[in-house]
Amino acid sequence: MSKATAPKAVSTTKKDPYSGKRVLRKVEPYIWIAPSVILMAIFILIPIISVFRMALNNVSKTGQLKGFNNFANFTKILKTPAFAMVLKNTLVWTIVVVVLSTVLGFMLALVLNNKFRGRKIARAIVVFPWATTLVIQASAWGFIINKDYGTLNTLLMKLRIISEPVNWTPTPEAYFGWEIACGIFVTIPFVTFCVLSGLQSIDGSYYEAATVDGATYWQKLFKITLPLVKSSLTVSTVLNIIYVFNSFPIIWTMTKGDPANRTDTLVTYLYKLAFYNGRQGEAAAVSVIGFLILLICASVYMIYTLRKGDGDL
Amino acid sequence: MSNSAANTVKKPVSVKKVILRVLLYFVVLDVCVITLYPYFAMLCTALKNRVEIFSGNTILPVTALWSNFIEIWSRAPMARYLLNSVLIAGGSTVIAMLCGIPAAYALARMKFKGQTAFLGFVIVSQMFAPVVLLIGIYQVMQVLGLTDSILGLIFINAAFNQAFTIWLLRGTFIGISAEMEQAATIDGCNRVQAMMRVLLPVAAPGIVTTLIFIFINAWNEYTVALCLISTDTLKPLTVGINTFNGYNMIEWQYLFAASIFAIIPVVILFMCIEKNLVSGLASGGVKG
Repeated sequence: MSKATAPKAVSTTKKDPYSGKRVLRKVEPYIWIAPSVILMAIFILIPIISVFRMALNNVSKTGQLKGFNNFANFTKILKTPAFAMVLKNTLVWTIVVVVLSTVLGFMLALVLNNKFRGRKIARAIVVFPWATTLVIQASAWGFIINKDYGTLNTLLMKLRIISEPVNWTPTPEAYFGWEIACGIFVTIPFVTFCVLSGLQSIDGSYYEAATVDGATYWQKLFKITLPLVKSSLTVSTVLNIIYVFNSFPIIWTMTKGDPANRTDTLVTYLYKLAFYNGRQGEAAAVSVIGFLILLICASVYMIYTLRKGDGDL
Repeated sequence: MSNSAANTVKKPVSVKKVILRVLLYFVVLDVCVITLYPYFAMLCTALKNRVEIFSGNTILPVTALWSNFIEIWSRAPMARYLLNSVLIAGGSTVIAMLCGIPAAYALARMKFKGQTAFLGFVIVSQMFAPVVLLIGIYQVMQVLGLTDSILGLIFINAAFNQAFTIWLLRGTFIGISAEMEQAATIDGCNRVQAMMRVLLPVAAPGIVTTLIFIFINAWNEYTVALCLISTDTLKPLTVGINTFNGYNMIEWQYLFAASIFAIIPVVILFMCIEKNLVSGLASGGVKG
């Protein structure tokens, strides 16, 4: 009897905590992610929802919702003459900055991947623009290109390249061009370091084998290097599209989008709409439009690269 | 001996190599000069007086006015700005890590329903820069009574850095074998103990990298602070230094002197993590 009951007792006492453990097992991961979920829900998800709601409603100056207005915010924004220009500026800004900084950053990574004296110092220096806050970087460049007392004019005059001060920013377009240059300048390091990390993981024996087979430098670049750093390039490009599209401080510091929206991008435009003009509903509509554009770009890019990746497998 | 012999034999062939080498140094030097130029201009300007700056005749200051670096502390509440920046960046880092480590651990070590949905939201959240959501953020902050407060900025920075935190840490954790933790669990540790005692020490380099990266991001944040903070003594450095960038005239020497104080700590931190950060980015990306 005692021999028969003993195992039973053990099995029942074992069964209870076991099922308790199973419930715990199922719930446990959610407890682990809960703090992160709560944090992001309050400070990212709720703002997202509130922006979408504001975009679809009449909004008073104090931010109160006054009912669904049949996409009036969107039609109002799309009819604003300045909006087409702002949209064009945004696309030019994003495409030029991302493309040029990716190309230049890639080339710089190839250079820095060589073994040479002072490579560590060179890499440390290249990191500078990435580490510096954009406001400071932008005000420095604003100072450098100033036509009256900027250091670029002083420098070029001392070097006798020019004889009198040049007005580097005669038109709003020229100013926008400098803003783009500044954007490229601060974006290059990120691309460079992403590519460098990819380059360092490439097995040197590939190149040796290719050299034995008589491959030229360009063949090695396109047939070995490029395919192997593709994933690093994808990461940096997708992130850059998002960051550059949403970049605010450079333009805000240098021109505030003036004169007359000629150097505005979507984010500076919506900032002014919301916090200077009190047109929050329309600003929210601009946010939503911006998000949709980004979503389309990012998903096209992802799908394209994922498909190519499948082909490789 | 045989090595040096081989070198002397090879030398005649490498004329092309010498040219390439010279070209390489030329390019590297150019890149470095252009990169450092804005910093050089800032430093020189920070050491000039107003008249010299606006005359635009000199590159180096005639006499270096180091007093500019002292004067900024009395002309604006610089010490306060600095303290605010430290509080905001430090606080954001702590909260982002406290929330991010367990989440990254769960994503790396457990299987659960909604895992992909969660990762998906983390990635999509990256698409919304705070500036796009400012109107919404402002409303949430009004409800919570956190407009014009440092605590509000801490939460915002922590939330918007969650994606990076989780991304980087998940990559780090996946790269570390789970065997040691399992052994620790058999020895009677529970999961939390196993993570704290076994995983985190091994993952320390990745954690430090993530930590510094969030700190730098929060330190450099400008847009949300500009929008939410109206009290001068609550401003971080990035917003505060614009005191010298007035409507009527810009006091460049003070602006740049103050800027240098804002740059130096970050550049040093960044140089410490540069190598780890990039490999972390890449591994998180490949495995995602």
